[in-house]
Amino acid sequence: MFSLLNIRVGFYLAFRQLRRASLWTTGLIVFVMLLTFLNLVVVTGVLVGLIDGINNSYRTQYTGDVILSALSTKEYIEDTPSVIAFVKTLPQTALLTERYQTGGTIEANYLTRSSSEKPNATSAQIIGIDPIAEDAFTGLGKRIIEGQYLGESDYDQILIGNFLLAKYAFGNQPSLTPLTNVDPGTKIRLTVNGVTREMIVKGVVKSKIALLATSVFVPASELRTIMGRTDQNVAEIAVRLTQGSDPDSFKNLLIASGIGEKAKVQTFTESIPNGVADIKKTFAMLGDGFSSIGLVVAAITIFIVIFINAITRRKFIGILKGIGISGEAIEISYIFQSLFYAIIGSGIGLVVLYSLLVPGLAAHPIDFPFSDGILVAPLDGTFIRIGLLVLTTVIAGYLPSRMIVRRNTLDSILGRN
Amino acid sequence: MNNFIEVKDLVKSFKDGSVVTSVLKGINLTVARGEFVAIMGRSGAGKSTLLYQISLLDEPTSGHVHINGEESHEMTEREKMFFRLSEFGYVFQDYALLPELTALENVALPLLMQGASHAAAEEKAAAALAQVGLAGRLSNLPSQLSGGEQQRVSISRAIAHKPAILFADEPTANLDRESSDRVIEIFKKLHADGQTIIMVTHEEEYAHAADRILKLDDGQILSDTRL
Repeated sequence: MFSLLNIRVGFYLAFRQLRRASLWTTGLIVFVMLLTFLNLVVVTGVLVGLIDGINNSYRTQYTGDVILSALSTKEYIEDTPSVIAFVKTLPQTALLTERYQTGGTIEANYLTRSSSEKPNATSAQIIGIDPIAEDAFTGLGKRIIEGQYLGESDYDQILIGNFLLAKYAFGNQPSLTPLTNVDPGTKIRLTVNGVTREMIVKGVVKSKIALLATSVFVPASELRTIMGRTDQNVAEIAVRLTQGSDPDSFKNLLIASGIGEKAKVQTFTESIPNGVADIKKTFAMLGDGFSSIGLVVAAITIFIVIFINAITRRKFIGILKGIGISGEAIEISYIFQSLFYAIIGSGIGLVVLYSLLVPGLAAHPIDFPFSDGILVAPLDGTFIRIGLLVLTTVIAGYLPSRMIVRRNTLDSILGRN
Repeated sequence: MNNFIEVKDLVKSFKDGSVVTSVLKGINLTVARGEFVAIMGRSGAGKSTLLYQISLLDEPTSGHVHINGEESHEMTEREKMFFRLSEFGYVFQDYALLPELTALENVALPLLMQGASHAAAEEKAAAALAQVGLAGRLSNLPSQLSGGEQQRVSISRAIAHKPAILFADEPTANLDRESSDRVIEIFKKLHADGQTIIMVTHEEEYAHAADRILKLDDGQILSDTRL
């Protein structure tokens, strides 16, 4: 079928049909292909981007590129000062921040509550931070939506995650009973390991990372006192690397230098809970499912377009066959036309995708309650989708042309059914 | 072999449900190389149907059509296509030009299908168009040409590859007097150069341009007159 001669004649016909076709019709078909292409790429891209948004936030707002945490048998990183000193000597280290961590409860309105009332209290993750280092590392100060960020000399003051307050809570979180009537300036009672301390809410932190949104931030020196700790051993050290440094190589370097015996060393991808990766896979599958529907719709659209085109040109197809043009050459001419629509549609789609949508959504992410959604469209995946679209379009263009070409030549010429 | 086309007991019937209509009822006919045959008859006599059977555009219900000694029944679709492409030329009543191809491209297309290079095809096509007086209309689309000019493009397409036989189905039916005369003059000239032509017409005057007139009535040959 695909002899060079048939391809040459098919191209000759297709080129001229396209060149002299109505601009509106061609534009409309290309527009449909463009929308189909975007549907194929963007639906999956946004769903995956939702999870990648969480991952990115997790990296920038919490873990950095590599995170060192206490071994499972310990509550803190053994010999923290020497670990930090070593990490700081490495040229790949750009920034680091250290954190204490423990579980605790916070209670509000305890002074006005009657004995029959249920306590306005909730459990929370208590994180001890160096406010200056933490702000430099994660930009925590920029996420204050009420009140103020912690100062260097603040004492008896805390920041509270937005999900811990009823007015900002998102959905029902197990083991979380968000506090009511709490604003900056409100006194709350913080209890850690049986030690209770009265503190003032200085600010409310808004984050889409559940871990941060359900945490209470306390100056490290104060939390150390509450926890009764006299050493300098922290629970976590988050490290941001210089641009171009590979987190895996850095992690291997730390392990090779013996840090692995004192702390669990993980890259940010390893530190993300497995569930998030599973959700990403599920969303990718969902996106592929939606895309498949888009592909079928595109196939049907092209089938109809080519079928109508071929049926209205049935007489001319008959004439072509009548004067000896092979059916294969005529079919190939329709394949070329379908290819044209698919390639031009995808080409414009590529430009729209990589010059508008991807950078646009990176600059202005979609504001989901639990993530800043970006558009993930890796080039290899995009080209696979273009391949699929082109293949589907070619088949959808070939089938109707074949149906018409196979009809009796004379019936086609005379317009007989 | 002198007889280029040989038709024996040709029958063509059409079936519509249980109704069978016989359009050709046992036609016997031979056409020699170089002949100019006009097929005449009133509407519904079976002129065009006969032309379609001889020119391999349709399958007879029964009987035999031999083209250059080859039995049409035994030809595959591909072989018929090849015959139509290389041995036959067609001129249709309504010109049958492709609207998105210029005059030159319409004529060049069958030549390309025969394997000619793009340049060679266009060169031959231009020569064929010049032969019918359309040297200055090469880049015009059919919609930019008059009916007579379109029919001359159609004739150019039919003769550009020097076919063994030229079939014309009512070539003047849609044309004014002047254009019709011009088309018939072209046919006469082609015939004088040795071109075999079979032309269906209902116009007595133009039929006399041929050197043989077949008159059909009710699916049978009424007369076969050599002029």
